[in-house]
Amino acid sequence: MLKNPNWKSIGTVLGETFIDCFYFSLKNYKAKKGDIVTTDSKVPSSEGKIIPVTVWGKISTIESSNAFFPTEAAQELTNEDIDIRDTILPTTRDELICKVVILGYTKDEDKSSKLLPLIYPVRPAATVKYPSSEDVEALLISDLNSSHPIYIGSLLAREAVKIRIDADNLVSRHVSIFGMSGSGKTVMVRRIMHEMLCKNYPMLVLDIHGDYLGFIQKQQELYPDNKIKLFYPNLSVSSEDKEIIYTLIDKLGKPLTDPQKDFLNSLLEKVKYESGSLLKYVKLLNQRSREYASEGSTSFKNIRPASMYVVARSLGQVAKKLENMEQTNFRHRKKMSKLKFVELADPATEPEKIISKGQLSILYLKGYETLPASAIVSILLENLFKHRQEVNEEIPPFLTIIEEAHNFIPSRSENKDDLPSVETIRKVITEGRKFGTGIMIISQRPSRLDETIASQCNSQIIFRMVNQRDQKATRDRSETLDVDDSKQLPNLANGQGIISGQVVNFSLPVQIKFDEKLINEDIGNENFIDTVENWDDSEAVKERQKFAQDFSDISDIDNRSAN
Amino acid sequence: MSLEISIKDKIKRNSSMFVNFVKSAVTASPKVQNNFLDVSAKVAETVLKIVKDADLIVDLNYKGKEFWSQNRCKTACFVDGGVDKTSIISSAPLSIRAGSYVVKPDAISKREYFEESMVFLGDLYDPKNELYDFIDDDFEEDQMLNKKKDGARIIFEAATIVKHILLNKKFDYCFLHGPIEGTVMPFSVPGFPTFTKFAVENMFPFAVNKKTDIAARHFINVYLEALNYIKKGKFPIYGIVETSNSAPYVKNLLYNYKSQGKISDKDYNNFIKIIKKYKITDSHLLEIILSSGQALKPIEIKKQIQGFTVTTGSSWEDKMESFPKVFIGYIKTTDNNSPIRIESLNNSKNLIKDYEYILGTSRLLPNYGFPVGLNVVDKFAKIPNWMSKASRKYYATHLLRQAVKNKDQNTISLAVKILSKKARSWRNRPIGGITK
Ligand SMILES: Nc1ncnc2c1ncn2[C@@H]1O[C@H](COP(=O)(O)OP(=O)(O)O)[C@@H](O)[C@H]1O
Ligand SMILES: [Mg+2]
Repeated sequence: MLKNPNWKSIGTVLGETFIDCFYFSLKNYKAKKGDIVTTDSKVPSSEGKIIPVTVWGKISTIESSNAFFPTEAAQELTNEDIDIRDTILPTTRDELICKVVILGYTKDEDKSSKLLPLIYPVRPAATVKYPSSEDVEALLISDLNSSHPIYIGSLLAREAVKIRIDADNLVSRHVSIFGMSGSGKTVMVRRIMHEMLCKNYPMLVLDIHGDYLGFIQKQQELYPDNKIKLFYPNLSVSSEDKEIIYTLIDKLGKPLTDPQKDFLNSLLEKVKYESGSLLKYVKLLNQRSREYASEGSTSFKNIRPASMYVVARSLGQVAKKLENMEQTNFRHRKKMSKLKFVELADPATEPEKIISKGQLSILYLKGYETLPASAIVSILLENLFKHRQEVNEEIPPFLTIIEEAHNFIPSRSENKDDLPSVETIRKVITEGRKFGTGIMIISQRPSRLDETIASQCNSQIIFRMVNQRDQKATRDRSETLDVDDSKQLPNLANGQGIISGQVVNFSLPVQIKFDEKLINEDIGNENFIDTVENWDDSEAVKERQKFAQDFSDISDIDNRSAN
Repeated sequence: MSLEISIKDKIKRNSSMFVNFVKSAVTASPKVQNNFLDVSAKVAETVLKIVKDADLIVDLNYKGKEFWSQNRCKTACFVDGGVDKTSIISSAPLSIRAGSYVVKPDAISKREYFEESMVFLGDLYDPKNELYDFIDDDFEEDQMLNKKKDGARIIFEAATIVKHILLNKKFDYCFLHGPIEGTVMPFSVPGFPTFTKFAVENMFPFAVNKKTDIAARHFINVYLEALNYIKKGKFPIYGIVETSNSAPYVKNLLYNYKSQGKISDKDYNNFIKIIKKYKITDSHLLEIILSSGQALKPIEIKKQIQGFTVTTGSSWEDKMESFPKVFIGYIKTTDNNSPIRIESLNNSKNLIKDYEYILGTSRLLPNYGFPVGLNVVDKFAKIPNWMSKASRKYYATHLLRQAVKNKDQNTISLAVKILSKKARSWRNRPIGGITK
């Protein structure tokens, strides 16, 4: 059905053909890399008939050889200032050879246009055609066969061809979004989030930079019917899970000796705390240990007060750091006084406050160091996942979006694998399909991500990537990324990505639609020049400047030589 | 500084004569080695003296930008032919190709185009004499095959030029890569196959009506007819040769001087002996004598030389006498290369302009110093990689069709194997796997 006599012919199939690819010579400027092309062919049907079909393919490379132009000639042209068009040198003989990766074929007499795998090579010397944008789009959509397609942008080679991806696979089969900083990952995520919000699908986004605050700012205007909540973290601890304390001391405090650990153990036994704020608990522990030490308590066998002091000091350090992080986060929040931040609800007891139909929850993690952030995320996801596992589900399926994922799921080789979030996310992602806990991983350093988790993502969206190791990691973990497409990675512009995997059926270079409205207005772009232009020194600085000259004079006089 | 010293210096400064001499010095006698520099310097000096006496040197004018803005309106055609070297095995049908690159820089549309023709060696020569030679170590058959290839290329190039004339193309220039008139002696060997009637009729339609006998389809006869036709062409046609392996210009020049009585017979004969002994060619000498941008005016030369054993007494002797004489000149296009040889069947009225055009097109290939259009068409005539795969199949299919027609079982199985196997496996095929 998808056959149109008006499709322009743009070239001729060359040489040997295969069932997965063919080469053709392209007429000048008639198609680009990434373009979808067709050629008429015939295949044997299962009934032994020969049926006419349209073979669809994607141009994966174009090589232009100007074999007829001798390089030596350039020398003379330059030296003598000769215009090449005045000479007998060939100017129009660029031979363009395209490699086409075959996507499949459609039967000409068929109504449906699902792409079928090609079982017979295309005919050498056949004409290659350029299908109309509408027809390409129609093919892609009907081939995607999605009950919930979402629009993300257009085919890189052809703006008129809209690209949609399958939302069902997106939320259940996990997606990774990789690319160097500034390549367009966040813009892509916001695009997906926008579409999913319109479908009322619950989402939780871990926002480190405040990239997603635009959703709150535009809530009235764009999402009047959705709930969008902005949380700041509350490091909570449950009575049965005190493991986190050890980890915190290990990472934020001083490492403990065995007797000191024994003391901490007993301390945790003694000092009961009914789940709640971690900071408060650490402070409590610090206070108690100090007391025991000064009392010279004997209730701890074989432990000297000196050891108790060490533990107390270590706990004090942890408390101080946690407090600092909380305050940093608080200061950042205060800058955005227009936005309403609420403390993160307890995911164990009130998960519905975080995940509910039509709601987007943004967890604003700015200011937190890796370990506490990891702990926060681990506890949060652990609990939410539990609620999905239970028979009487308390929360609907949801999508978790993890920005700067290398902070939460570092690769083993990074020696950070004791981060609590690694284990949690590994569990959530492997069982996500069963329980509807899809995960989207965003990172600029794919080579530094936990291999198991990264390879669980069945779809990839890859943006510009220059680092070789990251490119390799990306290729290694994707079964679907087209090799020739991946060569393009270093040259992609902002917002140009290669999308592959189950959300699309085949690898496609896409120009992502940019939703300017969703940018966080308070952050905006990194426009330091404007900032400096509007800069006014703070009061303290002004005061200091007032007296600076006087002090400087004093020391000058002081330094004068004796005579 | 005496002339002799400067010439010696020139020779030593890596001229092709010196390079060539150093290469062959191992085999040369000690005396020859010893005297090489002195002898060749004296030879060059003498030739230069005669060339000057005959007023043969011209200074050509070339100023890049100006030249091309004046010549952008000219239509030039470049012709080159070649044997398809991509064939799988020696016994597979070879194809002969000839391409033309036609360009008119200032044309509004169709500024440049390529034309190409291809023919199978097997379709060109009469099948009675055709051999799918399965034995490839038979020296004589190899020789014959090589001759057939050469003959085919020469005739096909000539046919291409003839076609342009027949179609009344409005060229300002036509250039052929290679001699405008090849030596026909090698094709006078007994048993050299004739062309098919079909081939002759198609290549040289004007030749058909007059003669239908088999001898008329022999290379030498067909070629002569083609050359006579080319000689009548309305546009200047030049054959351009990179290097000369002999000394036709110098020999003929001295011969003329001898005929005029300006040189004694003895001196002439000695001179000929010397240049033979020291392997001195036109290229060697003229490289030293001419400076970049200089040309030697053409002299008329007989290309077909009698007196070889193969031709003596044969009917070809007379025939060879009737071949047109060729005008041969030289242009030194760059400092670092030996001069290129310019051949034509006519003495041009605008010789200087023509030579300047050749110089201009050669300057676009500054290191190689050869008309760039011929380089372009040469590349075109070579089969690109993707094509060679395709052409391999094409050959095999062709072979199969022929074989089925002739019901030749060996050839059929050969073709089937070519079709079903990759080229490389044919190189490694077991010896004796296929017999005649
Ligand atoms: N699809 C797009 N179209 C146009 N510009 C884009 C697009 N994606 C990104 N950009 C530009 O690049 C900038 C950085 O994009 P962003 O998504 O924040 O990068 P990343 O998250 O990969 O670091 C954006 O602010 C925007 O100016
Ligand atoms: Mg980002």
